[in-house]
Amino acid sequence: MSLLDIRNLTTRISTSRGVMNVVEDVSFTVEPGECFGIVGESGSGKSMTCRSILGLLSKSGSATGAAWFEGQDLLTLKSGALEQIRGRQIAMIVQDAASALNPVVRIGTQIAEAMVQHGLVSSKAEARQRSLDLMSKVGIPAAEGRIDDYPHQFSGGMCQRVVIAAALSCSPKLIIADEPTTALDVTIQDQILRLLVALQAEFGMSLILVTHDMGVVAQTCQRVAVMYGGELVEMADTASLFRTPRHPYTMGLLNCVPHLDRDVGTARLRPIPGAPPDLMNPPAGCRFHPRCPLANDACKSTRPPLREVAAGHFSRCLRQDVLGEEIWTAESARA
Amino acid sequence: MHDPSQPSALRPLVEVDDLTKSFGARGGLSQILGAASQRQLIAVDAVSFQINAGEILGLVGESGSGKTTLGRCLLRLVEPSSGQVRFDGRDLISLSKGDLRVARRQMQMIFQDPYSALNPRMTIRQMLSEVLRFHRICTDAAIPARIAELLALVGLDQSAADRLPRHFSGGQRQRIGIARALAVEPRFIVADEPVSAVDVSVQAQIMNLLLDLRDQLGLTILLIAHDLSVVRYVSDRVGVLYLGRLVEIAPRAQIFAAPRHPYTQALLRAAPRPDPDRHPTQPAIAGEPPSPLNPPPGCHFHTRCPLATSRCKSEMPQLQTVSDGHQVRCHHHDLALLNPLPR
Amino acid sequence: MTSQVRRQARPSRMAQMGGLISGAAILTVILLASLLASHLIPYDPIEQNLRDTLQPPSLAHLFGTDNFGRDIFARVLHAAKLDLMIGFLCVVFPWMLGLALGGIAGYFGGLADTLIMRTVDTFTAFPFLIMVIGVIAIMGPGLFGMYVALTMAGWSIYARIVRAEVLVIKKSEYILAARSLGYGHGRILLRHVIPNVVTPTIIFAMTDMVLVILSTTSLSFLGLGVQPPTPEWGVMIAEGRGFILSAWWMVTLPGLAVVLVGVALSLFGDGIARILREGSQA
Repeated sequence: MSLLDIRNLTTRISTSRGVMNVVEDVSFTVEPGECFGIVGESGSGKSMTCRSILGLLSKSGSATGAAWFEGQDLLTLKSGALEQIRGRQIAMIVQDAASALNPVVRIGTQIAEAMVQHGLVSSKAEARQRSLDLMSKVGIPAAEGRIDDYPHQFSGGMCQRVVIAAALSCSPKLIIADEPTTALDVTIQDQILRLLVALQAEFGMSLILVTHDMGVVAQTCQRVAVMYGGELVEMADTASLFRTPRHPYTMGLLNCVPHLDRDVGTARLRPIPGAPPDLMNPPAGCRFHPRCPLANDACKSTRPPLREVAAGHFSRCLRQDVLGEEIWTAESARA
Repeated sequence: MHDPSQPSALRPLVEVDDLTKSFGARGGLSQILGAASQRQLIAVDAVSFQINAGEILGLVGESGSGKTTLGRCLLRLVEPSSGQVRFDGRDLISLSKGDLRVARRQMQMIFQDPYSALNPRMTIRQMLSEVLRFHRICTDAAIPARIAELLALVGLDQSAADRLPRHFSGGQRQRIGIARALAVEPRFIVADEPVSAVDVSVQAQIMNLLLDLRDQLGLTILLIAHDLSVVRYVSDRVGVLYLGRLVEIAPRAQIFAAPRHPYTQALLRAAPRPDPDRHPTQPAIAGEPPSPLNPPPGCHFHTRCPLATSRCKSEMPQLQTVSDGHQVRCHHHDLALLNPLPR
Repeated sequence: MTSQVRRQARPSRMAQMGGLISGAAILTVILLASLLASHLIPYDPIEQNLRDTLQPPSLAHLFGTDNFGRDIFARVLHAAKLDLMIGFLCVVFPWMLGLALGGIAGYFGGLADTLIMRTVDTFTAFPFLIMVIGVIAIMGPGLFGMYVALTMAGWSIYARIVRAEVLVIKKSEYILAARSLGYGHGRILLRHVIPNVVTPTIIFAMTDMVLVILSTTSLSFLGLGVQPPTPEWGVMIAEGRGFILSAWWMVTLPGLAVVLVGVALSLFGDGIARILREGSQA
């Protein structure tokens, strides 16, 4: 029984220019204790998906479909019921930790806030003790001396640890981390990711990790979904996705990212030509077809369904059976 | 001092000697106000290196390393506190305002944030025309043709000329910024994190463009980045900065195959790779970078270094040459060589 | 299984533009009427006609006549021309002054900033009416004195707004790019900084114009601004003070004119502000 079961999630945003579907018919599951990665570029809909699940859309947004969590469809819950779940069963970590914290409230208070809100602590002393425990768990040194500090006294990496501590405070079953390390230096990013994985194992939580960095998902997640233009285009376990990608976009991404461990000599990287689609006017048929070397007439007119092309491996490409490395050679080198 | 990795006797195009930039008040009113306000931030600490003509030097560092300030000092967009910057043998720091304006034609900058790098109220044509006219690059009649050439050079459609920046994507804006830099026909470009703010699928386009500019126009480029894989792809030589100091510099192959500074090794270990078989459980390096306002004595890195000894805490290491073109600032660089990198 | 769709009513484009259009329409009508006043209405606004004093509104005199027999409608229209012009000029002058000084203060910083902003502080410290009365006391009552007084009272807020915007723009990378291209300070300030800071000032100026017109009418009401017999709404309201019960049209109708112009300017200003804000989103 999956912990989170998202079915046909579609999110619409109305803007002054019209309505656009920022998330289009997305379905996936997250198992208990699993680290599930969602990878995509800007405009892929990965952040909007997370916000839709937790009902954190702005007034101009609306979500249809279903998000089953512990027998309830989150999308049908009223705000009172949703508030019971947020912070308690499902917690969220966002990209800019420093702005996620209230600058005029002490760190200890902010970490304990969710526990107090959900009635999990009975006294101020208990809240304080739990905050201290959490701070040590997330690796904040000398917690006793720092619990009364304010966010501006912490560095970016430390602020993110505080946010993680707050997220953990009610022992949620699921943490959604939306680009938690994008704004951090690479050595700090490394520390935070190892911390998240260790905590996940220790607390037995599931983790949805949203990022644009293929390297991060490769090293951290068990299963990965790739999003493009609001759609989920490929989903598989990590090893299969990276070794045998079954969507031209995934393959293109893997080919256009420079390698850290080897020189390419005089060979050039093969960029994906063009740019991500305008969601106000998405391309007909497959949203990737304007940039795809394999696109044929069917691709331009029919919206491909998400099909299981191998065990546990899903792809939204009509032509994935003819997919090979060579499609990205002569075509895209012209970019 | 010529770069020994270049066998030719040509002088390097850019020479940086003991360049230092510090921020913060010294003396005067701040002395009256008290010690706290006298704290200095030494953003760039006696950095020296050279860049040969037609070469791309990649400078890597995390936040607080001073790499952006260094790039701006080279162009005198920020006035260095001390040290020398020589361009083609000529000292830039002592140039008068008028001479500097002329010299500015030779060196340009590409900025990190494509959403802030273009004047939102000027069309591309207006922006490029202003550059061409101001520097008298060509006659007024030749301007439209020159603009067309520049757009083609960076891979943009001709229709882009009469649009405002807000109609373009991040990658396209970055190209426009490159076109603006190229309009003055510079010999040297400082590229400050040119791909950090751009989508992954577009990064390769910009990186390839920079390589093309080196190959086709013979441009010399200082590439400032925090992403090691970008630096590996684009650079000929690589330098590593930590808290304002240059800690290692070497030709590309060497620095990635056999890094000799523990910080460089940590950076390489920490960087994520799209390799599903790699599952590090321990972080590459513990601890936070020290505050630039209060750097540790001796070697700045000793607070986080697995090889640190008491000597490291008190004595700042000098930059030593360990092999052809490879310099390291570490007392224990021999030990670092023996320290295997779990890749 | 579909969920409840949370939808929020969003004003349609037409509704948003409605304010702008109606405001603009009213202003256009008033402006045209005031410019063509002498052609539209046979009555002279100043000439007295003591046989027809204090006539209520009728077909012959749309707004009635005042205690000197002057046609009030003609006077209201002529006053419109004057009040709108004062409103416009007493916004434009402070705007230009504030733009220049605020721009210099923000861009150059240092001594220029200190000198200019302390001057701004000084001007701001004076209560509006004190400053205006003081200036008029020195210059004597009349139109010119009012221009000077309102400009002196109004420029400092523009300088503040501009300086704040310039401080932000100064950090943009395109300004750094302009410096790296060798452009001088003058060029950068005029061609790159000022055009990007103008928008908030225009948005503010729209509101300011309403306030200026209200100030003008108030000052004239107090006898400090426009002097009788020149028709001006405030003057007319002052003249009608003694006749509020017997000839209500003398006070009420000019007063309504003030309100109408104020509302029209506000609607128009809001509409312009919205358009400018959308347009300046990079």
